[in-house]
Amino acid sequence: MSEVNLVIAGRAGQGLQVISRTLGRMLVRTGHHVFISQDVMSRIRGGHSFARVRASTKPVAADGDKTQVLVALDPSLVARHVPDLAEDAVVVTEATDDLPEGLNAVRLPLADLAREHGEDPVMANAAAVGAVLALVGLEPDGLDEMFGSQFAHKGSDVVKRNVAAAEAGFRAISEDRVRCCPHQLLRTEDGRQKTGDAGRKPDRVLISGAEALALGAIAAGVRVVTGYPMSPATPIVEYCFRHARQAGLIVEQTEDEVSAANLAIGAAFAGARAMVCTAGGGFCLMNEALSLDGMTEVPLVWCVGMRPGPATGMATRTAQADVLFSIYAGHGEFPRAVLTPADASQSFRAARDAFRIAERYQTPAIILFDQFMADALWTVDRDELTMDGRRERREPEELKPYSYRRYEATASGVSPLLFPGTPEQLVYADSDEHTEEGHITESRAMRILMVNKRDSKLAGIRQDLEAAKVEDMAEGEAEVLAFCFGSARGVVAEAVTRLRGEGRKVAMVHLKHVWPFPADAVSGLVGDGRKVVTVEQNYSGQLAQLLLQECGLRAAGTVRRYDGRPFTVAEVEAGLRELMGATSG
Amino acid sequence: MADNRRDLTESLPVNSDRVVLVPKAFESSDPIAWCPGCGNFGIREAVKLALSELGLKPEQTCFVSGIGQAAKAPHYINCNLFNGLHGRTLPVATGVKLANPRLAVFAEGGDGDGYAEGGNHFLHALRRNIDMTYLVHDNQIYGLTKGQTSPTSEGGMKTRTTPCGAIEPAFRPLALAVMMDAGFVARGFCARPRQLADVVKLAVEHRGFSLVEILQNCVSFNHVNTAKWYSHRVYDLTEERHDPADRDKAYHKALEWGDRIPLGVIYKSGRKSYDELVGDMTGPRVSDRVPGLLDVLLAGLR
Repeated sequence: MSEVNLVIAGRAGQGLQVISRTLGRMLVRTGHHVFISQDVMSRIRGGHSFARVRASTKPVAADGDKTQVLVALDPSLVARHVPDLAEDAVVVTEATDDLPEGLNAVRLPLADLAREHGEDPVMANAAAVGAVLALVGLEPDGLDEMFGSQFAHKGSDVVKRNVAAAEAGFRAISEDRVRCCPHQLLRTEDGRQKTGDAGRKPDRVLISGAEALALGAIAAGVRVVTGYPMSPATPIVEYCFRHARQAGLIVEQTEDEVSAANLAIGAAFAGARAMVCTAGGGFCLMNEALSLDGMTEVPLVWCVGMRPGPATGMATRTAQADVLFSIYAGHGEFPRAVLTPADASQSFRAARDAFRIAERYQTPAIILFDQFMADALWTVDRDELTMDGRRERREPEELKPYSYRRYEATASGVSPLLFPGTPEQLVYADSDEHTEEGHITESRAMRILMVNKRDSKLAGIRQDLEAAKVEDMAEGEAEVLAFCFGSARGVVAEAVTRLRGEGRKVAMVHLKHVWPFPADAVSGLVGDGRKVVTVEQNYSGQLAQLLLQECGLRAAGTVRRYDGRPFTVAEVEAGLRELMGATSG
Repeated sequence: MADNRRDLTESLPVNSDRVVLVPKAFESSDPIAWCPGCGNFGIREAVKLALSELGLKPEQTCFVSGIGQAAKAPHYINCNLFNGLHGRTLPVATGVKLANPRLAVFAEGGDGDGYAEGGNHFLHALRRNIDMTYLVHDNQIYGLTKGQTSPTSEGGMKTRTTPCGAIEPAFRPLALAVMMDAGFVARGFCARPRQLADVVKLAVEHRGFSLVEILQNCVSFNHVNTAKWYSHRVYDLTEERHDPADRDKAYHKALEWGDRIPLGVIYKSGRKSYDELVGDMTGPRVSDRVPGLLDVLLAGLR
């Protein structure tokens, strides 16, 4: 496998997002698989932020081990990245005088290039893009169109100056290319540009997890999207705002989270496909509304982002510590689905699954994600992205005028669904316990009927969602199963692949949904002799608790990380190795 | 000032010929759980009268309420209803209206639901000016939970949670509404159903956020602001030739309380409603979306 790992480091406000996105797109266009993770502080200017860009000829879904090229927009940040540098790494920065000893450093006068060619100091980021293209062996082709599509709203003059700065950055390096950078990893020996997939240029896109969720919802027919700004969910709502007119969306930034959730419920009650987006503490505020959703049986999709808590925690960092919370959120007992997609591709599909489940079973469908997944940029085949907004609701059969009963008890628990405004019918929804018509009741018999009715929907949801799959396992050869959910998939898959390469008998089980818990499928996979470990980004081992509770399976151990940063492949590999040693697997 | 009246039936496909139904058409079979003598009965009569005279069919309306005795009102009228959480009426009503602008949307609840738990939503609904009618049954006390103080309880009033008399002065929602240039601000009284019905009709016909505060007595828990207490103090603004377009005068009328309490339309703004400004909210239906929509959206990601 041929790959290059770059780190672009800078201060907030220096345009790291522009660099990583532009670079990523260039690399995808030349046929590479690209994975980019973002490490960002909760501030607008200053501090230390960085993007890790991994480009490969094979699919990648995790950060690489060592950095071959470090571009530091601020030289004082170089020292922080030294531990991760490969032995022959190249460090590119503004000034090289005060750098740590022994580095292969290349001076790139970014400020001068920005001023001279871009006429604006902020163009240093465009100059950096050009420089990196040279370093990894790409040509600066298509920059006009690239910057054009990214900065169309800023005007053609800004686009031109960005291109000029980028070309200048390219020339600054390329004249010295062979000497300064041995990592022309994207070129073959005879100097030709390497591409992934044997020269074929498949149609791929570079998309963040948040964008994939938004796009997936649009493809699934969403009409109303609500939210209150909160990391890491904000980009989902903002994407919808940007494309509201094109996609026919009603998008609302409400005064608070409680309003966002209740507004979405009102819209869904009135017949629109609706979605509310939030994270951590915002979801706490919405808990009563979630309970309302369960009680009124309104189809609604909830996008809930995870970040380190409790309370404000670390706003721009990652965690997987709200799994149990999501399963039990909202007082009272009512069914829901909790989906845990791993990446952009799964997020796109999860949005469709969520709308289907929500509408078919008239229940909340929660898409649970984390900051790492939402902010990372993933490579997705265009073919995987399809529109499918077909409606799923069960409609009533022959109805006499004004005879509709919103909560008619049925065997499956799903009542025929009508919306207010239907000619000659009325729809009643109530947060109180209610009769089949929808009026308030305190009757014991009716209460029991309704509790049973709501709960019986869970069986349908369970059957509807795909069973857990064991990945990359040859029958009978795994003695240890490494369980994970959500964005941990990429890291665990790569760690497991390395261990199997050494002959270790381990396989991964990734759960795309954690509720209803796929107990039968999991128990079947684990069978009689296999050991179970979990890999998750929380302190208390929430997935391990679920395995015990739902399947009676006691995990032999948990690989965990809870410092707000994502897992590395190396640490998961080491953690699994240690646990396997302990289980003598 | 622009005349914001409009014919609701224009945009309602169900009843293209105006049909004046009798109030009985809005009769519901749900047994009423209010105390005998409750002010809610009078309000209910007024609302049924207004709906029938507006020429609306039950299925063209959607009442959204919160929790409280007042919030039970939609159950006792024949209409679409969403009886949601305490204080969360306005966001739900907003969602209903945005999703289906052809419905005549009503939000209904009490003073606690609207001004305490729902305070933040009230403030922003005044800003947003979505086309709906908000009926606030203000009895200056909490009824369903048995007699606690309310934001509109007078300073000094003794209640279950203010045994030594309320320390804070009463909240003045109508004055806030005028200050925020709310679409339509009016007050009615449960014991004058005809006048209240007229105000409600004007509120519904106004395209924008219409606030109708309805004074009511609570026979069980408010022994100060009784029906008699209100009767001695209320007067009709139309007798004074009050001009609802005059915001300064309206602000003072909104603050007027004590010996004289004005009823009727206090303020009418020339503001456009949210839906008018956002444009056609119904937009392209999902099924009408451009076939190449995904590629349009992916343009900047390739």
